[in-house]
Amino acid sequence: MIANDNSLSRLMALAQDGDQSAYRTVLSECQIWLARYFARRICPTLVDDLVQETLMSLHRKRSSYDPARPFLPWLAAIARYRWVDQLRRSYRANETELDDTLSVDPTGNAVIAQISIERMLAFLPPGQATALQLVKIEGLTTAEASQRCGQSEPLIKVNVHRGLKKLAAMVEKE
Amino acid sequence: MRTTFDIDELVNDLQPVRRLHIWQPVALTALMTMIAVFSIASVYGLRADIMAGHMHPMAMLRAGVLLLLGVATMLATIATARPAVGRNSTGWRWALAMAALFPMTALVLAVIETPVSLEALHMTLGMYCLRISFISALLIGGTLTLWLRQGAPTSLTQAGWLTGLAAGSFGTFAFSLHCPETGIYYIGLWYSLSVALSALIGRLLVPPLIRW
Repeated sequence: MIANDNSLSRLMALAQDGDQSAYRTVLSECQIWLARYFARRICPTLVDDLVQETLMSLHRKRSSYDPARPFLPWLAAIARYRWVDQLRRSYRANETELDDTLSVDPTGNAVIAQISIERMLAFLPPGQATALQLVKIEGLTTAEASQRCGQSEPLIKVNVHRGLKKLAAMVEKE
Repeated sequence: MRTTFDIDELVNDLQPVRRLHIWQPVALTALMTMIAVFSIASVYGLRADIMAGHMHPMAMLRAGVLLLLGVATMLATIATARPAVGRNSTGWRWALAMAALFPMTALVLAVIETPVSLEALHMTLGMYCLRISFISALLIGGTLTLWLRQGAPTSLTQAGWLTGLAAGSFGTFAFSLHCPETGIYYIGLWYSLSVALSALIGRLLVPPLIRW
């Protein structure tokens, strides 16, 4: 079971003061939460790496958390930042299968829906969102993505570039 | 790809941390601005009207606007260090719009009163203004950037612009207390240029320094 925001906030405040037991709980809960958060938004074989990188970022930047504020929006901002960073790196085209067992319904919880990655993608123009989805999330080549969605190859490249730039600028956008 | 991740490594590495507080960068920025003001005052001197206790209305107005823009952009810069989805700090844009009234007024007057003489722009004094404001901005912006590195800014480009704007505003404010010129063309051109250049330099230099 994933702890609620209030519990995580309290535990994180204790962790900032050096409480190892509270910190272990925070990290364990975040690990589960992040795996669900990134599901279907990155190649499944990269989810573990991305969760790990995000937890390490959480560790390095733990002083930036303000216990007077909700915990999950802070974690989500770090997660989105790492996710965009990951999308910038290319990976092999054969790592394309998405794992449905990890999928999470973003409409199931109003708070999660507001901080989800889907919400971020929804702010992109359709052409850019499609190009990013095909090339950076599903891992298709530019040519394959072009065939799939009908955009020309140069347009796919431009849309991926512009889409990544916009995503980077809207990490904290609700 | 690593398939297992040992949480214990991070737990064992845990040390108590000091939470980021807003007063730290505010105090640091205020201190650096005061150092810039005192340095300029001791090397070049303050405006005669300030020394006499009867500050020129235009000098007071521009100093107030620069201070307000500096405070608004500094607070927005500080906010970027503690990220959160849904955080909204766009109030600084209103301060920027207000400050833009100076160059806009100068532009409108220039169109109405064409031709504007080059003398009204005080080119030599303007370059001097840019140089001193820039050095002050470098001191303030450098301090703010160093503090920002402790935080977790997720929008590096915006953090860069904001740092540059804050530093430029405070740096130009420091110079304005010495600057003898109060003409609208001069302020509209050189003060705007000073803040804009600082913002641009912040945009270019700050993001690579705060990336994490």
